Amino acid sequence: MIQEHLDIQLIAIVTAVACALPGVFLVLRRMTLMSDAISHAILPGIVLAFFLTESLSSPLLILAAAGTGVLTVVFVELLQRTKLVKEDAAIGLTFPALFSIGVILISRFAGNVHLDMDAVLLGELAYAPLNRLDIFGYDVGPVSVYVMGTILLLNLTFILLFYKELKLATFDASLAATLGFAPTLIHYGLMTLVSVTTVGAFDAVGSILVVALIAGPPATAYLITNRLSLMLTLSAIIGSVNAVAGYWLAYLFDVSIAGAIATMTLLVFGLVFLFVPNRGLIAIARRRTRQKWEFAQTMLVIHLFNHEGLPEAEAESEVAHLHEHLRWDPAFAAQVVKYALNNRCVSQEETQLTLTERGRTVAQQALVQ
Amino acid sequence: MQASEAKAIEVTDLTVAYQEQPVLWDVDLDVPPGVLLSIVGPNGAGKTTLIKAILGLVRPAAGNVLIYDKPYEAQRRMVGYVPQRGTVDWDFPTNVLDVVMMGRYGALGWMRRPGKQERELAMQALEKVGMEAYTTRQISQLSGGQQQRVFLARALVQDATVYLMDEPFQGVDATTERAIVTLLQELREKGKTVVVVHHDLQTVTDYFDWVMLLNIRRIASGPVAETFTPENLRTTYGGRVAFITK
Repeated sequence: MIQEHLDIQLIAIVTAVACALPGVFLVLRRMTLMSDAISHAILPGIVLAFFLTESLSSPLLILAAAGTGVLTVVFVELLQRTKLVKEDAAIGLTFPALFSIGVILISRFAGNVHLDMDAVLLGELAYAPLNRLDIFGYDVGPVSVYVMGTILLLNLTFILLFYKELKLATFDASLAATLGFAPTLIHYGLMTLVSVTTVGAFDAVGSILVVALIAGPPATAYLITNRLSLMLTLSAIIGSVNAVAGYWLAYLFDVSIAGAIATMTLLVFGLVFLFVPNRGLIAIARRRTRQKWEFAQTMLVIHLFNHEGLPEAEAESEVAHLHEHLRWDPAFAAQVVKYALNNRCVSQEETQLTLTERGRTVAQQALVQ
Repeated sequence: MQASEAKAIEVTDLTVAYQEQPVLWDVDLDVPPGVLLSIVGPNGAGKTTLIKAILGLVRPAAGNVLIYDKPYEAQRRMVGYVPQRGTVDWDFPTNVLDVVMMGRYGALGWMRRPGKQERELAMQALEKVGMEAYTTRQISQLSGGQQQRVFLARALVQDATVYLMDEPFQGVDATTERAIVTLLQELREKGKTVVVVHHDLQTVTDYFDWVMLLNIRRIASGPVAETFTPENLRTTYGGRVAFITK
């Protein structure tokens, strides 16, 4: 039982990390939808390879599916190049067409074979550990761990070897081209990786979760860091956390593991989206509020500063008259005065406001700018 | 100037077409070494396309481009490129120093990572453009003029002989513009050839010593004093230029 827990989590982590790494570049290239397209469009490749080999475990399946994946990218780009169809529409046209070819092939010729649609869409992590790898009669663990482990190693090697090239081609493809780095080649290299990863992962976790694993962790990491290398590392970590947390969520509520991991991915993204310092929604809202009060306070001190020592100063410094002079709502004026008092920019005697030394400096600085 | 001296850039009979629409039509251009040349012309005249064709980024329908007597592919290392600022995603997770180091990638070649030497060269280039205080700044937090200077520094670390720049003055303030011009003139003093796509006719005479007037076809090219004439400008802009500064 414990072994099973460990096996499933291991598969989930390895798969999540393998997906997150190329996912980073898809997110930066604004191509995450392409992973969605690939994950569906590989179906006819799988079916055809299955007809050829009559086996579901042949490595030819992965190769054929990866081939179909790359073909999807080519189709989308050819359509796009006509300039008659935009990228999103091109994706929307291509992958349902390929996917449905796969569906038709299954329903027409493979009705009695174990290749059903549920498995395709959702996969079944819970069963993944049952398919085990035997070497000389020894059980060395689930096949999925080895398949995904190999793919993870492949992705890692590619990214480590071509890190500089990937970065340049993603940031500035035309500079990459002028320097002789063949951005098209890099692009298709990356797309081949995405296809292989999708195929491998989809066998274990289904096509829906694949997209969540590819897009979710990188999109989350993108909010946290502004360094590419850190974004890759964080994506891998976030992907693993989502996988483990999702697994236990599924265990707790006795629901689909793939579904729970996808939910966890969204949840973690949402939390980061709200709470990450500097760039999170809450940080932004707080900064806006603070800026609003800062700005109003500056207006107040400038107003007092301009009239300081002049005959009309007394009337202008009257709290009750602020709304008139600055066209502020009385309630708002009262709050601004409170804010400025707290910051020791003004002092109040009865209804009269006077600038403090600090308030004077603030006003002077604001006027110089 | 001897006729035998190699030209920095030699474009002959260059025609570029998108579908059936010619964008550049039978364009010739000879750029001698050590000049600061601006390409001017109305919108849609093919200025950017010409730069891209020289760099092999667009495939010409006909014609030939030589950099110091050899095709661009053989001379990559000699050519520095400053694309338009708007062509990249400034939200990309990287900092100023890192972007400048990208200029060294060509010299490094495939798979080799930038190291200490590249870092130092990038620092020097940033000092030249007055951006040394911003090395670790995330690129999305730069102003337009700062972005432009980062791009310029990235071209400088390429240590090229020929520079091609697509609108380096776009959206920069007057101070930055002056700083960039001084830098371009320094490059020329060092014998580099600088080709700049330019929009402001009023500054052509001040900034550049050569000019090319382009509107799909080449109207004229040569030293500013001889080429930047009211007549040529009228041909280029179809009589829509009401002012001529000389």
